[in-house]
Amino acid sequence: MNFTLSTLIQQIINGLSLGSVYALIAVGYSLVYSILLFSNFAHGGFLVVGGYACYFLLTQWGFNTAVSMAGALAASGLTAVLTERLAYKPIRERTSITLYLLIASMGVNIVIENLFVITVGGRIRALPQSTFPTGVFELGGGVTVSASDILSLVVAAIFLVLLQLFLTRTRWGLAIRAAACDLRTAGLMGVNVTFLIGLVFFVAGLLAAVGGIFLSVRYSLYPQLGSITTKAFIAAVIGGLGSLPGAVLGSLILGLAEMLTAGFVSSQMRDLVVYSLLVLILLVRPAGFFGRTASEKI
Amino acid sequence: MAGTGRILLEAQDICVNYGAIAALSGFSLKLMEGEIVAVIGANGAGKSTFMNALMGMVKLAGGTILLDSYPLTGRTWKAVQGGLSLVPEGRRVFAPLTVEENLRIGAFTRKDAGDIQEDYDWVFSLFPRLKERLTQYAGTLSGGEQQMLAIARALMARPRVLLLDEPSLGLAPIVIRDIFKELRRINEQGVSILLVEQNAKQALLLSHRAYVLQTGRLLKEGNSRELLQDPDIRAAYLGQGA
Ligand SMILES: Nc1ncnc2c1ncn2[C@@H]1O[C@H](COP(=O)(O)OP(=O)(O)O)[C@@H](O)[C@H]1O
Ligand SMILES: [Mg+2]
Repeated sequence: MNFTLSTLIQQIINGLSLGSVYALIAVGYSLVYSILLFSNFAHGGFLVVGGYACYFLLTQWGFNTAVSMAGALAASGLTAVLTERLAYKPIRERTSITLYLLIASMGVNIVIENLFVITVGGRIRALPQSTFPTGVFELGGGVTVSASDILSLVVAAIFLVLLQLFLTRTRWGLAIRAAACDLRTAGLMGVNVTFLIGLVFFVAGLLAAVGGIFLSVRYSLYPQLGSITTKAFIAAVIGGLGSLPGAVLGSLILGLAEMLTAGFVSSQMRDLVVYSLLVLILLVRPAGFFGRTASEKI
Repeated sequence: MAGTGRILLEAQDICVNYGAIAALSGFSLKLMEGEIVAVIGANGAGKSTFMNALMGMVKLAGGTILLDSYPLTGRTWKAVQGGLSLVPEGRRVFAPLTVEENLRIGAFTRKDAGDIQEDYDWVFSLFPRLKERLTQYAGTLSGGEQQMLAIARALMARPRVLLLDEPSLGLAPIVIRDIFKELRRINEQGVSILLVEQNAKQALLLSHRAYVLQTGRLLKEGNSRELLQDPDIRAAYLGQGA
């Protein structure tokens, strides 16, 4: 492929769109990490629940797109809360070693994935054509962008702004930011910590569902779709674990890197570039862009 | 302000274990309304454990905690709603949040917006320096300012009992004097105070009554002025003339 300005612009838009979907996933994952200090690998499972809930609400029950999306968000949020209550809370109450939580989360991810394989089967599905815009816009100069890319970019941006407003403007948002700094002391302020953790999981699950729906639109829906979360994990690590601006920045960088590689080198090289980028950034900045250093954590 | 004779907070035979270690073995304490009570003891005596037990931050192996003669449930947020507010050991201000946000989270359990404004004014009258630093990140404050913020943050819950875990720790003597002076003022304005300290002299000078804690057990209790004169206490806890 040769270098053209129109390819560049087109791939930048594609990259931002993909990056914004990663950001939805990475932010929720980072939010959980900031409170409980473990990598929640079940996050991919939440995303799959969102994707399938949306699919079945559209196809089986015939709801419109908005209602189906809302239902998917709720289903995924509740799955996240339930996962916390059933799998993590009993562990949290017995030990402060977070490695056990990480292992439990891997287990939950496998359980969710296989529940879908058993119940609805492993075949690849597509969300019905009519429910999401499929058109292509010609921006002039040979630059084309798909309507679904624009839609996912806009919706992701709206959700990220809403999250930011929630965290900075509300009483519980402030409590979550305090808990991210020091969970025990947040509890001393009279914050019901059990409720707060549930709330954080609900928000994380809800954002994962939005990501899951747009990944299903972009690619397709299958029980292992959650494995794409790896990319969001990498984005969160690049940005600095536990940092939300970091997660967004890391996601956009990753999305751009992938799409520019696909546009100018080859699609097969995408993952190679992503992982090389991770290694490179961690060599230069081990804590990521906005990572807390050891001294700040005290 | 001296005690009114009504028991506000009572701990009966508190036992706390960490695995095989017994941190508290049957410690009891009473705090009257309006009183300042100190618990003094060496490092590792169980002072922080006792504070955490009162706040429901550690599980009791035995004993009861009564607030207004009703047992506390062991849930921290209920203890805060009931009127207990702890300034934890090491201050633990929320470093990445601003001074204003730290105060706001201190008022988390409150629903009365109008009164909260009054309490901002109250804590600023106690610690005027916080008002100047309102938009600054708490992590950028000096140690003394962080202690003031931690106390102000606890007061924003409008507690009936202010609990303080070693407020003098790591501070210069002149800063300690300032802070203890404000604690007296806070008490005079009607807040009962329960203080644990290694700095026995300051704690005994401030408090009305005191308990001496040694490896999880009561060693002695009594009037603070008398304990200051007690030869055993002088030898063991006031030795360095602190
Ligand atoms: N989280 C913990 N796990 C195990 N042992 C602890 C823990 N916290 C305190 N201890 C032990 O309990 C005892 C009392 O500690 P603490 O209440 O912190 O004393 P103080 O505040 O008087 O210095 C000490 O022997 C201490 O080592
Ligand atoms: Mg202590």
